[in-house]
Amino acid sequence: MTITKNQRKKQASSGNRLSPYQRYYLIFIGIAVVVPFVPVIIRAFSFSWFWPSILPTKWWWEARENAWQPLGWDYIFSGPSHVGEAIINTVFIAIVVTIVCTAISLPAARVIAWEKFRGKSAVEFFLLTPLIVADIAIGLGILITFLQLGLTGGYVGIILAHLIPTTPYMVRVLTSVFQGLSRDYEEQARLLGATPLKTLWFITMPMILPGIMAGGLFAFLISTNIFLLTFFVGQGNIVTLPTMLFAKVIGGSSLDTIGAEVALILSLPGLILLIITERFLKEEIFAKGFGG
Amino acid sequence: MTSTTDTLGLTQKRKLRQRSILKRLYVPMMLLPASLVFLVLFMGALIMAFLQSLGYAPIYGVNDFPTFRYYREMLEDPAFRVSIGLTFYYALVPTILGTILSIYLALSMRKRFRGRTLFQYIYKLPLMIPYLVGVAVVIELFTQGGIIARLFHAAGFIEVPQDFPRLLKTEAGWGIMTVYLWKQIPFTTLIVYSVLMGLGKEYEEAAGTLGANKRQTFIHVTLPQIMPGIVAATLIVFPFNFGSFEVPYILGADFPNTLPVQAWRVFDDADYTRRLGAMAIVMTISFISGVLLLIYLMLYRRYERIRGRQ
Amino acid sequence: MRKYLVGLVTAMVAMASGATSYAADEEAFRDAFLSGNLSYDDVLARAAEEGEVNWFFWGGSQALNTWVETSVSAAMAELGVKLNVTHITNTRDAVDLALAEKATGKGLGEGSVDAIWINGENFYTLAKNDLLFGSFAQLLPSSQYLFWDPSDARSGANLFDFGFPTESREMPWGAGQYICYIDTSRLSASDAPTTFAELEAWLQDSPGRFTYIAPPHFNGNTFVQEVMYAHNPDGTGHAPFMSSAESLGSAEIARLITPGFEYLKRIEPNLLGGSDPVYPKDQNVNETLVASGEVDMACRFGTSAVHTGISNGTLPPTTQNHLFPEGYMIGNKNFIGIPGNAPHPAAALVLANVLASPDSQISRLETIGYEIGIDAPKLSSTDLQRVADGMPPLYGVTLEGLGNNKVPDTNASLVDIIEGVWMEYIERGDTSRSLGQIVADVYNSKYGS
Repeated sequence: MTITKNQRKKQASSGNRLSPYQRYYLIFIGIAVVVPFVPVIIRAFSFSWFWPSILPTKWWWEARENAWQPLGWDYIFSGPSHVGEAIINTVFIAIVVTIVCTAISLPAARVIAWEKFRGKSAVEFFLLTPLIVADIAIGLGILITFLQLGLTGGYVGIILAHLIPTTPYMVRVLTSVFQGLSRDYEEQARLLGATPLKTLWFITMPMILPGIMAGGLFAFLISTNIFLLTFFVGQGNIVTLPTMLFAKVIGGSSLDTIGAEVALILSLPGLILLIITERFLKEEIFAKGFGG
Repeated sequence: MTSTTDTLGLTQKRKLRQRSILKRLYVPMMLLPASLVFLVLFMGALIMAFLQSLGYAPIYGVNDFPTFRYYREMLEDPAFRVSIGLTFYYALVPTILGTILSIYLALSMRKRFRGRTLFQYIYKLPLMIPYLVGVAVVIELFTQGGIIARLFHAAGFIEVPQDFPRLLKTEAGWGIMTVYLWKQIPFTTLIVYSVLMGLGKEYEEAAGTLGANKRQTFIHVTLPQIMPGIVAATLIVFPFNFGSFEVPYILGADFPNTLPVQAWRVFDDADYTRRLGAMAIVMTISFISGVLLLIYLMLYRRYERIRGRQ
Repeated sequence: MRKYLVGLVTAMVAMASGATSYAADEEAFRDAFLSGNLSYDDVLARAAEEGEVNWFFWGGSQALNTWVETSVSAAMAELGVKLNVTHITNTRDAVDLALAEKATGKGLGEGSVDAIWINGENFYTLAKNDLLFGSFAQLLPSSQYLFWDPSDARSGANLFDFGFPTESREMPWGAGQYICYIDTSRLSASDAPTTFAELEAWLQDSPGRFTYIAPPHFNGNTFVQEVMYAHNPDGTGHAPFMSSAESLGSAEIARLITPGFEYLKRIEPNLLGGSDPVYPKDQNVNETLVASGEVDMACRFGTSAVHTGISNGTLPPTTQNHLFPEGYMIGNKNFIGIPGNAPHPAAALVLANVLASPDSQISRLETIGYEIGIDAPKLSSTDLQRVADGMPPLYGVTLEGLGNNKVPDTNASLVDIIEGVWMEYIERGDTSRSLGQIVADVYNSKYGS
């Protein structure tokens, strides 16, 4: 069994090139991912767009001049649309959820990754179960308790509800961050006389910070995307971008200009996150928690 | 003198004991905050849903606990069987199809090609976008008066919107499954791809040099290695589809539709006492997806054992 | 230190007692106002103290939203009240919120909903749950622009909301008539149907070019009611539908609505979507179906909708109003309701008064074309002139035509039954039971057998 260097090289290089099918497939996926946004973007800059025109019958900038009321983006950025309020609500809720979620997930992730204890795999499994239970079951179930506690229609209730789907992800991601980290550094620092607090702050924190960032961004994204729990717990009293978009697409027939604009704004956190993670973080960090 | 040493010994002992209590409490204390979310919020919600489904809901003016009335009524409704079938159908087809397409995509992405960096960047876009935006995108494309229908019209294939096939708001669920695929292929691909990257190509190359063809290499070498990733991805994707509400509610038929949509409809009734019926439905959804996942995990364990991993 | 502590405790006690006395205070205010012991100036003073008012209304109209938060906000601000607007998808959401808060024991002064744009079933729900502030409307200054005398036929729309007595527990705010509109680029006014029989014939020739909004949305319920009126087996139109469900009984209801439902079943295969019909969820969705060419005709409340739609770009400029169905076009009023657990009751009363004032009504008419909800004969001649001048174009119909075809709406309790039957018989297509059986089942689920 002797394999010449040449043979091996040939094998490797042929296995490294795309087959024609794969090429078409990649092109198809690329198109399928990006092109669908085009009509939504066009719609967001249209005034009216009637059958059978392929491009808007009238563009937004053509109509905004002589309109008595703010149209399109002008309306979006005006008070009566409440989009500004929705953005502030969405971001505020997501920030609080991210902070709380990180704070409660860090200690759990640390012991799951580093300590041996009885029932560890059970704990790990149960902390993940909220991911497999339908949102609607959680939402309907939680509603009655929240009603009794007077937590509906306010921020506190929504933030608590958002912790349910975000915490499992956070614990998972942070656990894998701790697992990828050697405990030796901490022990060395302790041997050298650092207090536990100092060790945590000067040794552990800097090492897990990128992981926390990634997990935090992910929790932020999940929170900004949640519709059903916000809708149930908020009782229509607190408007967020997802509840606003839901009202716009509820009929399942074509969007109006405002609907398309809300959809684009709601896509922004994900887009920004994609750029940040791609630029500054190891890309596989999200996959890490899930068998990666 | 003796008394002092004694006291010293005692304090030391006490200190030691304290430390061991602290040590014993360390793990539970650290787990506590996250567990509170799980136990109080999540389990609390499920327990309340369960109690309500058995007739306990004084806040809605109903308390005939315990009763199976709401489950019986649910099962007696002929629409329930249709709903359950649709729920399975919309959840399963995209999961299976999406997994196959994702594996192929992950394998293709491993190759070297021009624009690979850009592609790896772009393909994740739907993953980062909310489902509701996915719904908006599908609506703009696929309604009978949508952009594709208009392009067909411009090309002279159709005269009026009705000539374009109806893809949304039908039982067939094309729109629903399209959104799931669009959102989930990147997710599954990301996981499978990172498993692939972690593995390297040594085993596959070895199999190749040993004379295995591409197909054999894939089935006997690559697939078993990426299996944990596939299982992890499907474990997330299937239950999500099974319990998803917004997508089928907006893109599905008015009737019949999936169980979560049915639950919402019943819950939304002006008559508050009907809300208990909705609880029976959501408990059923949770129960079915729980049982399915257990079976799935058991099958996977067995597969791993047969492969001699454990 | 001790001084501070004592001060703190006193402050806390004062706050605690203040909080309780405040709630009692709200009830005292309500009782005093409703028994006529308070002047409107007292209400104004108290409203300014309360400082804000939470108004919930359907936020689907860009034009209305803009008008409210420019014109109404300014008018309220002048009176020292900040207007907080909450846009809801469905009026039911606000009703549910108020109900949920009541269930948790939140009484007057403690809820979160001060005022709701409301009518029909939702008002009925609040009334049934004893969750209305009280009979306030006639005590407000703006009530002088409305007919209240029960012996005057013109009072009907103010005294009854879907056949249910308002008892002044809501303030009239708008008026509307159910009307259809057509895109004349595809369907000319002369070809468009004017009766249900013509609609059926037209749909047979051009299937899929029409659909109606799905009940339980009020724009869907109203279409179904008009079908019921037109197919009344006694030929008495709307008359029997004014009675409550209980006074008719399930057998009589079934007899009255069977021909109507048979008609709806008959036209269903020729509606948009054919064998798998599409019933749009609300008027905005229906509008997009017209804009994207999927249907040629649609129906909804409000004669100004075409005007608004064209100026917003949501409807093609070729759209026109169309009188349909001749002789059965339901007209009614919509109202401002105040829930019994409103947090700022005085401010809510002021809002209702401002909204029903001629200035506000005419400003709304001039800016966004909404029909006035107060009664024209009660207006001063200058205001009447302003109304005439501010009227938006009617696009293909005349005021006279609208008036001649106007009929009252169905009793709210009957609407409840009819929508239930629609969902079983039409939406779910239940064929295992006869129509009579379905009516009986729906009836029994509401009133017991």
